[in-house]
Amino acid sequence: MPDRKMFWRIIRRLISANRGRLFVILLALGAGAAITAALLNLQVDAKRRLTTEFRAFGPNVVIVPKDSSATVGTLPESSVRSVPVHPSAGEVRVSSALYLIANVSVPSSGQATSAVIAGLNPFAFITVSPKAPSTVVPDSPAPSQPLENVCVLGVRVAHQLNAQQHAELALSAGGRRESCRVASFSQTGGPEDDRIEIPLRAAQRLAGLPGRISAMEFRVPGTPAAIQTYITDLQPRIPEADVRPIRQFTEGEAKIYNRISGILSATVGLVLVLTALCVMAAMTNVAMERRNDVGLMKAIGGATRRVLRLFLAEAAILGLTGGILGAAVGILLSMWLGKAVFGVAARPRLIVYPVAVALTIIVAIAGAFPLRRLAGIRPAAVFRGEA
Amino acid sequence: MFIRLVADSFSRRPRHKLLTGAALALGMAVATAALSVSLGVGDRLAREFRSLGANLLVTPQADSLPLEIGGVDYRPVNAGAYLPDADLSKLKTIFWHNNIIAFSPVLEVRVTSWTPQYSPASATFVKPAANGDSVLIGAWSNHPVTLPDGRDFLTGLDETNPWWRVDGSWFQDGAGECIVGKAFADRNAVIIGSPLYLATSSSDGLSLRVTGIFTGDGSDDNAVVTSLSIVQQYVGRPGQYRRLYVSALTKPEDDFARRDPATMKPDELERWSCSPYVSSIAYSIKQVLPGSDVRVIRRVAEGEGAILIRVRTLLWLVTFASLLAAALAVGASSAASVIERRTEIGLMKALGAGSGTVGFLLAAEQLLLALVGGAVGYSLGIWLARLVGQRIFGVAPEFSFLVLGVIIGLAAIVTMLGSAIPLRRASRFEPALILRGE
Repeated sequence: MPDRKMFWRIIRRLISANRGRLFVILLALGAGAAITAALLNLQVDAKRRLTTEFRAFGPNVVIVPKDSSATVGTLPESSVRSVPVHPSAGEVRVSSALYLIANVSVPSSGQATSAVIAGLNPFAFITVSPKAPSTVVPDSPAPSQPLENVCVLGVRVAHQLNAQQHAELALSAGGRRESCRVASFSQTGGPEDDRIEIPLRAAQRLAGLPGRISAMEFRVPGTPAAIQTYITDLQPRIPEADVRPIRQFTEGEAKIYNRISGILSATVGLVLVLTALCVMAAMTNVAMERRNDVGLMKAIGGATRRVLRLFLAEAAILGLTGGILGAAVGILLSMWLGKAVFGVAARPRLIVYPVAVALTIIVAIAGAFPLRRLAGIRPAAVFRGEA
Repeated sequence: MFIRLVADSFSRRPRHKLLTGAALALGMAVATAALSVSLGVGDRLAREFRSLGANLLVTPQADSLPLEIGGVDYRPVNAGAYLPDADLSKLKTIFWHNNIIAFSPVLEVRVTSWTPQYSPASATFVKPAANGDSVLIGAWSNHPVTLPDGRDFLTGLDETNPWWRVDGSWFQDGAGECIVGKAFADRNAVIIGSPLYLATSSSDGLSLRVTGIFTGDGSDDNAVVTSLSIVQQYVGRPGQYRRLYVSALTKPEDDFARRDPATMKPDELERWSCSPYVSSIAYSIKQVLPGSDVRVIRRVAEGEGAILIRVRTLLWLVTFASLLAAALAVGASSAASVIERRTEIGLMKALGAGSGTVGFLLAAEQLLLALVGGAVGYSLGIWLARLVGQRIFGVAPEFSFLVLGVIIGLAAIVTMLGSAIPLRRASRFEPALILRGE
């Protein structure tokens, strides 16, 4: 079809006629697409990353035995195997603990007191990953021997006992005895300051409760809604226990998360609108420079509609090229920015790419729209050089 | 003549000038909004983080080790040390008194609860077997603290533990009322308005009226919370408390903040104590409460610091992007307005004007436009920022002269830069060529 051939030939000429101009317009469109893609990607990633950051507050869900009012109840250690794996919640981390009160003494100095002993997993939190077939928690290859008699002393206990690092401690409860060596001190401002942390197995021997734990702590990542879903899912699986969200953190987090994501969306929205305006302004400038071409085409018999279609097609092609190049740069940029802000490169979202390209094309066509005004041009006036 | 030329240019093409001005104003409006939102966001978010509750814990220095498991302290009542609550008004006299948002002293005692039963035989209420163990927590709720300047500061557990959800209402200070934890209420079939009888191993018969049922942290759900003064009398420790929770607005800690103040040089110590780091607030609290040990609740304070720093960086980044986009938009539109006037420039030069004069004239025009557009954009942007702030935080951001200065400056610089490049090109043109329309 000669008509179509001609159409594309003119377009090729239009685009390649002025290299400088082509460069400027592609730069404007590409920059717009880059900002759009970078911000969209960063925004999605930042929200996800923030929910991970919130885990700096520590566990947000605990499981304790039901009706632990009168005596300190315990749970079987195997309860940890019934923890659900929730693909949407990502990596859930679990730690089980056994608490008891024991007499602690430092044989070398004779100092003694009673303190809370926390028996913890040798590796603290174990990860429950969503890829396991059902609910298997692969963990704790038997703790190696040197870990077995090591303990972490809370600062206040250390102060009370006047214990130094590497000191031997003798623990006794109900006639049973254990000993451990102080590996390090912990200072958190919380109850850990008043505790001695020893390996779970040692605590179970000390308490005479093999295979029992008194609490499980969870670090559930995700949005407040995802955490809530996880909690409701958890309760029926461990009927002998009480699942309690640590509301200090779940509530506070929900509030703060909503604020932060709101402010982020608002600013990103504003910047996107502005970017669109900027690209549109650049496109309009370029389009208005085309008045001579429009005049010429009309003079040699081009119908207004065909002429317009020509220029809109040019705008769309420019938008597509600028968008494809710019969005790629923008996604790379957002990965780098994610690394700068969160220390981890932002994960590129594939959906962002077509969205950014489509937005660029739309903006480019919208920017060329003032060409419609050129429809009223009188060719003669253009050739006479009148404004 | 100069002014006449400028005025003429504005009156001859009002529509065109309006368009350029509108682009300028719009760009500057977005920049203003983004800038004022992110300027205020740090303080607003720091305040939001106080919904996590207390970040400082004050305990007596001479205290024995608490034997606490699952929120129950297994120490005997008379063990350990106490602090006097008469000192607490001094908290609002420290250098950072405005940063101290709330505080509440706490005194706990283990109790058993019982519900009296009517005995038909003796026609009186008798005490049946106890319903079970619980913890009686004495604290403040909406308690007035008289400050040295005579004003009252209302504070209490309702503000240091904002995540507590209370059905019914908080107890009145000193009115023989209490609130009970949800687990406790379920176990003992306690409803709002019912009387509650409590006893310890040594003393008997404290009766309180339940005004609310609260859901707290799990471990406190088995507790009964009432006025500090009631518990003080009950355990024979008038005017004393064992733990104090303080919620303070702080600045995220950096390496400097974590240094030990004892090792600092005098000027460093001054800088350290003049920044609202959580550790420097702890230090000044320790100085007004003798015999106390002030600890930072690291879990709250450090998590807060980490998130605040990240969010702030992120928002500055987005703000910077918006400033950049605004600059591009404004630059492009002013470049366009110069290009359009090539003929005029050619004519002026043909009539003998130097490049300097032409540049000066156009620059004056652009500056005038930048000032007007910037000012309009600024007021539009402030309105936008208020809208965003109002929707997200419920409070409009504060007015800041800094933003006004930055915006007007940015508008001027960007329009000048935007017009500088086409102006330079225009000044190189041969007037004859331009006038012929080539």
